[in-house]
Amino acid sequence: MSIILPGRRRGIRDKLSRLHWPLIILLTIIAGAGVITLYSVAEGHWQPWAIKHGMRYLAALGVLVAAALVPVRFWLSLAYPVYFAALLALVAVPLIGEVNMGARRWIEFGGMQFQPSEAMKIGLVLGLARYYHGLRAEQVSHFLYLIPPALMIGAPVGLIFIQPDLGTALLLAATGAIIVFVAGLSWRIGFAGVLGGIGAAYGAYRFDILKEYQIKRILTFLDPDRDPLGEGYHLLQSKIALGSGGLDGKGYMEGTQSQLKFLPEMQTDFIFTIFGEEFGFVGAIGLLLAYLAVIITGLSIAMGAKLHFARLATVGVVATFTLYVLINTGMVMGLAPVVGVPLPLVSYGGTVMLTIMAGFGIVMSAHVHRDQDMYRSSDSL
Amino acid sequence: MVSFGAHDPERQEVVSRRTVLLGGGVSLLFAGIAGRLYQLQIANHQKYLDLAQENQFNRRVLTPLRGEIVDRFGAPLASNRKNFRILLVPEQARDVDAALDKIAQITPVSDDRRARIMREIRRRGAFTPVQVADNLTWEEFSRINFQLPHLGGVLPDVGETRDYPFGPASAFVIGYVGAVTERDLAAEKTDADRVLLRQPGFKIGREGLERTYESELRGAAGSMNVKINAHGRVIEELADTAKPPAQGKPLTLTIDAELQTHAMKVLAEPIPGVEQDVQSAAAVVMDVITGDILVLASTPAFNPNDFNVGIDPALWRELNESPYKPLLNKALTGAYPPGSTFKVLSAIAAQEAGHKPNETVYCRGKMWYGNRYFHCWKAGGHGTVNMEGSLKHSCDTYYYEIAKSLDIDVLADVAKRFGLGQTYELGVSGQKGGVVPSREWKRAYYAGNPENQTWFQGETLSAIIGQGAVTATPLQLAVMTARVATGRAVRPRLVRAVGDLVLPPPQAPLIDVDPAHLAVARAGMNAVVNEYGTAARSRIEDPDWQMAGKTGTSQLYRITNEERARGLTKPEQLPWARRDHALFISFMPYENPRYACSVLVEHGIGGSRAAGPKARDIMKAVAAKDPASRTPFDPRALARAPGLQEG
Repeated sequence: MSIILPGRRRGIRDKLSRLHWPLIILLTIIAGAGVITLYSVAEGHWQPWAIKHGMRYLAALGVLVAAALVPVRFWLSLAYPVYFAALLALVAVPLIGEVNMGARRWIEFGGMQFQPSEAMKIGLVLGLARYYHGLRAEQVSHFLYLIPPALMIGAPVGLIFIQPDLGTALLLAATGAIIVFVAGLSWRIGFAGVLGGIGAAYGAYRFDILKEYQIKRILTFLDPDRDPLGEGYHLLQSKIALGSGGLDGKGYMEGTQSQLKFLPEMQTDFIFTIFGEEFGFVGAIGLLLAYLAVIITGLSIAMGAKLHFARLATVGVVATFTLYVLINTGMVMGLAPVVGVPLPLVSYGGTVMLTIMAGFGIVMSAHVHRDQDMYRSSDSL
Repeated sequence: MVSFGAHDPERQEVVSRRTVLLGGGVSLLFAGIAGRLYQLQIANHQKYLDLAQENQFNRRVLTPLRGEIVDRFGAPLASNRKNFRILLVPEQARDVDAALDKIAQITPVSDDRRARIMREIRRRGAFTPVQVADNLTWEEFSRINFQLPHLGGVLPDVGETRDYPFGPASAFVIGYVGAVTERDLAAEKTDADRVLLRQPGFKIGREGLERTYESELRGAAGSMNVKINAHGRVIEELADTAKPPAQGKPLTLTIDAELQTHAMKVLAEPIPGVEQDVQSAAAVVMDVITGDILVLASTPAFNPNDFNVGIDPALWRELNESPYKPLLNKALTGAYPPGSTFKVLSAIAAQEAGHKPNETVYCRGKMWYGNRYFHCWKAGGHGTVNMEGSLKHSCDTYYYEIAKSLDIDVLADVAKRFGLGQTYELGVSGQKGGVVPSREWKRAYYAGNPENQTWFQGETLSAIIGQGAVTATPLQLAVMTARVATGRAVRPRLVRAVGDLVLPPPQAPLIDVDPAHLAVARAGMNAVVNEYGTAARSRIEDPDWQMAGKTGTSQLYRITNEERARGLTKPEQLPWARRDHALFISFMPYENPRYACSVLVEHGIGGSRAAGPKARDIMKAVAAKDPASRTPFDPRALARAPGLQEG
């Protein structure tokens, strides 16, 4: 029996034992699904993706554990600095950023390419959680207290939208909205906000604010058969791959659609399709259940944390993760427009992996330090 | 640092409630995703499975081999040979110009060719392979294959192309094949044929028998299912699903390639004493019993192998602009005044009009009729001439005398019975009908001009010696000679068998003519060659192959009285285009005719001088080989050859 005394600093071993191991196992299972799928996509080769994916996951897991060992109050104190640093970087993008595939998203940072919009995914979650940490329950729906979060969300969303990166902008906006909702925004204001969002979207379409390719993608999403060899081609091929997989799939490395390269971006955005083609309905549902388990676990961690910041930050990270999963799977099945959102931990790509795992590091920190609250731990900072 | 610990229970309650709500909402959305998965993978599984199959498998058209064309003894006149070529899939190459530059480093790609490739890509779209170059050497082809990893979208391919081993010698009979045009595609009735015609490098018959017998020669496409990837690259050929293509039917001709080649050589030989490099000439040799055309020659001739590849524009211009018309088959498409060769028919017409062969005419070298002199070719005159002598010496005056009282329609009737003024089913287009003048012909000819429609007897005087309006092709003259030799309405033919179906020779009913009249005409022709007539120097000494013939010289310009008074220019000194045409018709053996021959030498000056010797040289070769006595080729042998069965 170990009664942790308030104010006492825990040892590393103690903290490690408090890690949420089932969550780590779930994340590892999902990343493992990514490795075996990438191995199949490369026609049975570890190169160029599978081995790197596995190594990156292990490295990112290290980041997760390291972040988990850091007291959650430390993250709280870093929240605003991280948010504003990310915002500053976003402002810098149009000035010094690299143009890549028609969009300006990257900046050079110490010889490395760095995507500020990715950092903002963490930054916004931390920033909003920090903001609501300082509000009383009745202040949340007060008009004046709504202005700062509106600006905190609106500024990065606007900056990312003009890059242009519609997918990430919408993802950030939705994440922000979920945090505000969970923080206790009144339903009335919530509905008004949703209606306003719809109006804004319609206005954007009406007044040519969207790029042509973005409109085309949305129209294709609404009617994929209108251009089967153009924008709708990927979606159609994706549906064919999934559908032809059937109940138990075509078998590992037997997916004809993917092996014959009918699918685009197989190692990144469309990887769920290959998984579904080769492992069938059973496999795909299994993977979805693993994701759901991660999400539920994350939400339960949020509910178990004493620190208000920790709760909201956890919800924010889980929300981001959830949106990735829903948008990506919805996209490859024709339920959402093709916007270039990867499947977390399965799609190949280091930046997103790192963002997700760092986010879960904060979640894990919230879990490890779930009993800590502000007034009991003033000694730690 | 501010602490709101006091408010925490309330905030925690809200967050927990909302988090549960969020979890429920997310679970619902996941259920939606799962439902969609069910719809795709379970409910509509079969539909997507079928689509996946369609994606994966493609039907590839297997191009059939074109039917061969062989001569009467089976020698190939048109066959197929391997063609190493490069195809390009524009969609895979992306930058077509760069790809062409790379190919051009290995095998030349002319600007002209490049423009044509670009046009074809625009017309056919980016997914259809286009032919960039063909007839590559093995070395070039290997280099392309070696560099293939750096040549995106380039497909090396071994196709089949038409080969004409006899080149120009068979050009006018066989014709040639050429690239498919949009009009060809529009003319096709079935989709299968259109698909076949769209195959890269597919050729269809453009001229001659290649065109006429296109549907027989083409064959039927086969198909094979292939497994492809998204780039259309073939991963696997599924041979067990293959339906082999059926080669086109072979054509067996009546032509004797050896004699044909010999005739082309003889025609091209210079005429002694005349400075003229190129002989624009034609010759036809027929079997007078079956109508089989053994030789159908015309010089100069183009090389059909130049046309297979897509002819070089400079060469095309040269062929078109040459005064010797190498693109025209003069044996069929050239209608010339037959000159004195026509007298054979005139002699028959004279007898039908009541003249006896022993009636004589005194030739003074010219005869006054109407308002002018009609001149005999021999200025001093022939003296007393009977019918046989009139043929032997080709006396014009004799026929002028006959013509004074001869009805033109009687002459026209004889000419038609003996095969002039009509075309024959040969399968080679462009045949001219020639003109057999008659009262009706003149009425029709001057339909818009009633005052010119009256026939004048003076015109009969020109017509009876094969001048004036009378024209005939060398083919018609050969048919005429065959009919004179046999008394039967022999019809010429070029195709002896289609596939393995041997066609019977066309019916040759007896001509409604008195055999005695024919005998006189034949005796006259015999005298021309063998009794010191106008073609004495073209005599064949072999008694088994005694040749009878008739010379002809067709005057192209009327000689004016002033010219005659001044003294005639020697024909050798006239420009080529003003010289008279030389003609000669002949048959052999005289006693039991088997072969008939006609020879025309454009601007050859004189029949006895230019055409007769060529006919003799050709007929000597015919006599030496005697193709009619040899067993012809059995086309079933071709059909039985391995690989040629119909699928």
